[in-house]
Amino acid sequence: MNQEVKAQGSAGASSFRQARYDEPLLWEIRPHNTAKLEEAPNIPPALQRKDPLRLPELTELEVARHFTRLSQMVFSIETNFYPLGSCTMKYNPRIGEVLARNPKATDMHPGQPDETAQGTLEMLYELEKALGKITGLPNISLQIAAGAHGEFVALLLTRAYFHDLGENRTEVLLPDTAHGTNPASAALAGFTTKEIPSKGGCVDLKALSEAISPQTAAFMLTNPNTAGLFEEEVLEIADRVHGSGAILYYDGANMNAILGKTNPGKMGFDVAHLNLHKTFATPHGGGGPGAGALCAGERLKDYLPVPRITKEGRRYRWSYDFPKSIGKVKTAYGNVGIDLRAYAFILAHGEEGLVRVTERSVLNSNYLGKKLGKRLPRPFKELVKHEFLLAGTPLKERGLKTLDLAKRLLDEGVHAPTIYFPHLVDEALMIEPPESESKRDVDAFYDAFIRALDDKDENIRDAPRNLSRSRVDEVLAAKEPRLSWRDLKGA
Amino acid sequence: MVRWISPQEDDAAMLSELGISSVEELFRDIPKKARMKKIGLGAPLEEEEIATEVERLLSRNRPLADFDSFLGGGLYSRYSNAMVDGIIQRSEFYTAYTPYQPEASQGTLQSLFEFQSLWIELTNMEVANASLYDGATAMGEALLMASRLHEGRRFLVPASLFWERKSVLANYARGLGAEIVEIPWLPSTGQLDADFIEREAKKDCFGVLVEYPDSFGLLQESLPSLKPRIGNVPLVVSADPLSLALLEPPGSWGADIVVGEGQGFGAPLSYGGPLLGLMACRRAGVRQLPGRVVGATKDRDGRRAFTLTLQTREQHIRRSKATSNVCTNNSLVAIAFLVYATTLGPSGLRRVALSLSEKAHRLAEALKGVKGLRAPLFSSPFLTDFVVGVEGVKAGDFLAAMAKRGILAGTLLDDPRPAAKPLPFQGYLTSVDWRTDDKSIARYAKEAADEREGA
Repeated sequence: MNQEVKAQGSAGASSFRQARYDEPLLWEIRPHNTAKLEEAPNIPPALQRKDPLRLPELTELEVARHFTRLSQMVFSIETNFYPLGSCTMKYNPRIGEVLARNPKATDMHPGQPDETAQGTLEMLYELEKALGKITGLPNISLQIAAGAHGEFVALLLTRAYFHDLGENRTEVLLPDTAHGTNPASAALAGFTTKEIPSKGGCVDLKALSEAISPQTAAFMLTNPNTAGLFEEEVLEIADRVHGSGAILYYDGANMNAILGKTNPGKMGFDVAHLNLHKTFATPHGGGGPGAGALCAGERLKDYLPVPRITKEGRRYRWSYDFPKSIGKVKTAYGNVGIDLRAYAFILAHGEEGLVRVTERSVLNSNYLGKKLGKRLPRPFKELVKHEFLLAGTPLKERGLKTLDLAKRLLDEGVHAPTIYFPHLVDEALMIEPPESESKRDVDAFYDAFIRALDDKDENIRDAPRNLSRSRVDEVLAAKEPRLSWRDLKGA
Repeated sequence: MVRWISPQEDDAAMLSELGISSVEELFRDIPKKARMKKIGLGAPLEEEEIATEVERLLSRNRPLADFDSFLGGGLYSRYSNAMVDGIIQRSEFYTAYTPYQPEASQGTLQSLFEFQSLWIELTNMEVANASLYDGATAMGEALLMASRLHEGRRFLVPASLFWERKSVLANYARGLGAEIVEIPWLPSTGQLDADFIEREAKKDCFGVLVEYPDSFGLLQESLPSLKPRIGNVPLVVSADPLSLALLEPPGSWGADIVVGEGQGFGAPLSYGGPLLGLMACRRAGVRQLPGRVVGATKDRDGRRAFTLTLQTREQHIRRSKATSNVCTNNSLVAIAFLVYATTLGPSGLRRVALSLSEKAHRLAEALKGVKGLRAPLFSSPFLTDFVVGVEGVKAGDFLAAMAKRGILAGTLLDDPRPAAKPLPFQGYLTSVDWRTDDKSIARYAKEAADEREGA
């Protein structure tokens, strides 16, 4: 019987099954009311809503069942191994959820007097201090919504800095392995961008030197980079960049790999952003909210957003008295509810724990990289940091793509790695097994990967079969965009 | 130490697979000169120690519940139905990533598709994205989007726009080199000068921003007839979602882009974040929309399915040519928004909006008789927030004195930066929250009267 099931392919090879509901849209559960609305007081007639909001009136049970069913059709860290490269999908400690829901944290309006928010201000101040030590760049703004927001703000600081110096620097350089947000953020801040080709997966120092000009405002670098490699020439890179007067920017998406080993300050960076939702384990929430921090050294610190926390004696307050500041970049003070979770994570680990975070994530990555490297080519050197790349090139001989393998992996009940990034690697798979994953789970992922790879071509091409949906037609979605209930209904 | 890291006892077997003897060897590629010896943090803590420490910190806070609070201005203390937390605390939702693999993420995707649909219904627009960081950055993204839809160098915003939003807008406009032009308001009513808008919109202008209600809490009566007066210049409206339960949706009077702050629907204040940026536009603008967008499609078996779509706009494909650098959206807060609205339903949303508006008008009535205050300062219609004028003393000093009396009476509207130009009046924005009742309104009026008489 087992044999027979196996022969049917991927659906049989793994016992994993995701829930599968044909869950209606809210609007399909029951029709919405259509009766015209009565007039509301205090509103001029021309501004009165006339037609009722088109949304059905549902019972609470209907709402509960709808969203609970939907939740069962989601891969998450607590249900599935999630080795998404550059995303650092580590365990999100439960205690963070409990602490952040304390009414003394949630029932706080940003407009209330500083004297009534001393606890939160102290927490933010201490978090800033800790992040300053971790990055070696001690001037911090937590008014950052996410990583890309931090990049954008750092480039605004860079702009303001060169404006003050009276220098017209219009170009931002970045390696061809950079996260897509880097060039997009640079463009948003009004810079042109130029990509520096890599050599062996790392920055080609010669190509960088040739590209640097008096117009260069900044060089944006992730270290370890998106190939998982540590840029060993980082100090030379810093020298070249600084030699031209430009700013060296650190994209902190991969900070999990270096805690306590080195830091952006030591490596010569002028400014860095951190993704608190990666390294410091705050939940990703299906895409957000995240939280960022921007950490600046001497050159850019005066330009950080206001307000900034100052401490006078034992009192904390928000200060707006930073004349060179670029002003505000977000409502209020940042994602304080997320900052609290990150603070709890740092407290829990302390010195010893954070170093261990890095050591184990790098060990997991090298271990899994070594094992999987026996089956698929690894494009660059073997020693990696917290993530590694595989090239899915051999799949092409079977008429398959990396995408097919990724879908087949889902059938095993594990999330697929990041795929087709960075672009310089053919059919790339980027794998990050964070420190919270045990050897047992890393080995289980390896086994799942091998089962997927060794499955029959047609099964791989046909995957997934064990999920709530089979292969989703993304081309159709883009060709005929239907983006709402209205679009589906033709209403 | 809490057990969030995998056990060290497995290290040996893994190192042996790698043929090395210590983890330290994995860091030999970091140049010596860049190595650090210590971070300088303390010893690890157990979970109960973390809880104790965070509770010690938070005990130094005095939450809104300790006061009679009248703080609002876009971020609101509202009752959130128990269902909201029940759903967003499901770890399937909160510990997932952006739904890159649609087959594995239908629940997140369908929820976001419904969220888009809901924002479209509230605004009567045609297309919405799957959320942005917050209302102010959504405004910034709307400015950038307008610049892609229409030629021009200037962008009009109300002079009454809250200074924080102006500052965020200025930063989003920096890269474009756009000029932000302020639309004056009429002193007694607070109504924007619509003739000014019509005149200036014709001069090299790529967009006009208005708020609904505005930063002074007012309803701008010229809005329903504004679009014909500015022609094809994009009209950007920042709308409060709860107010849209009562107000004619901006899509019905010509808005091209509608943004908003969604925090009041199911998300706690948490001292200002995380929040929720809302954004919708006309179909013609869809390829210029920033951020994640979810679309409906089919799977290989013909079943309805959802997926992230129109990704050729986005940074991971287009890099420097992308419509935005946004990678993170605020999915979980968007789901909270959706669950909140769905649990209340249209009649519940309307009930909440009417009740808050009614309380705010009762408050205005109660403050009317207070000597030394002018409430409301402007004569235009309002819903839940209004400006109180303060005579004879600084508004900031009055608010501080009221806080000592247990009343958080409102938010200062002035830009607190030392070099900033002050507003032409002494006043503050007052609002109501879900705890406001007859007693707290009476206390506010009495304490304000006592404070002003003592002055």
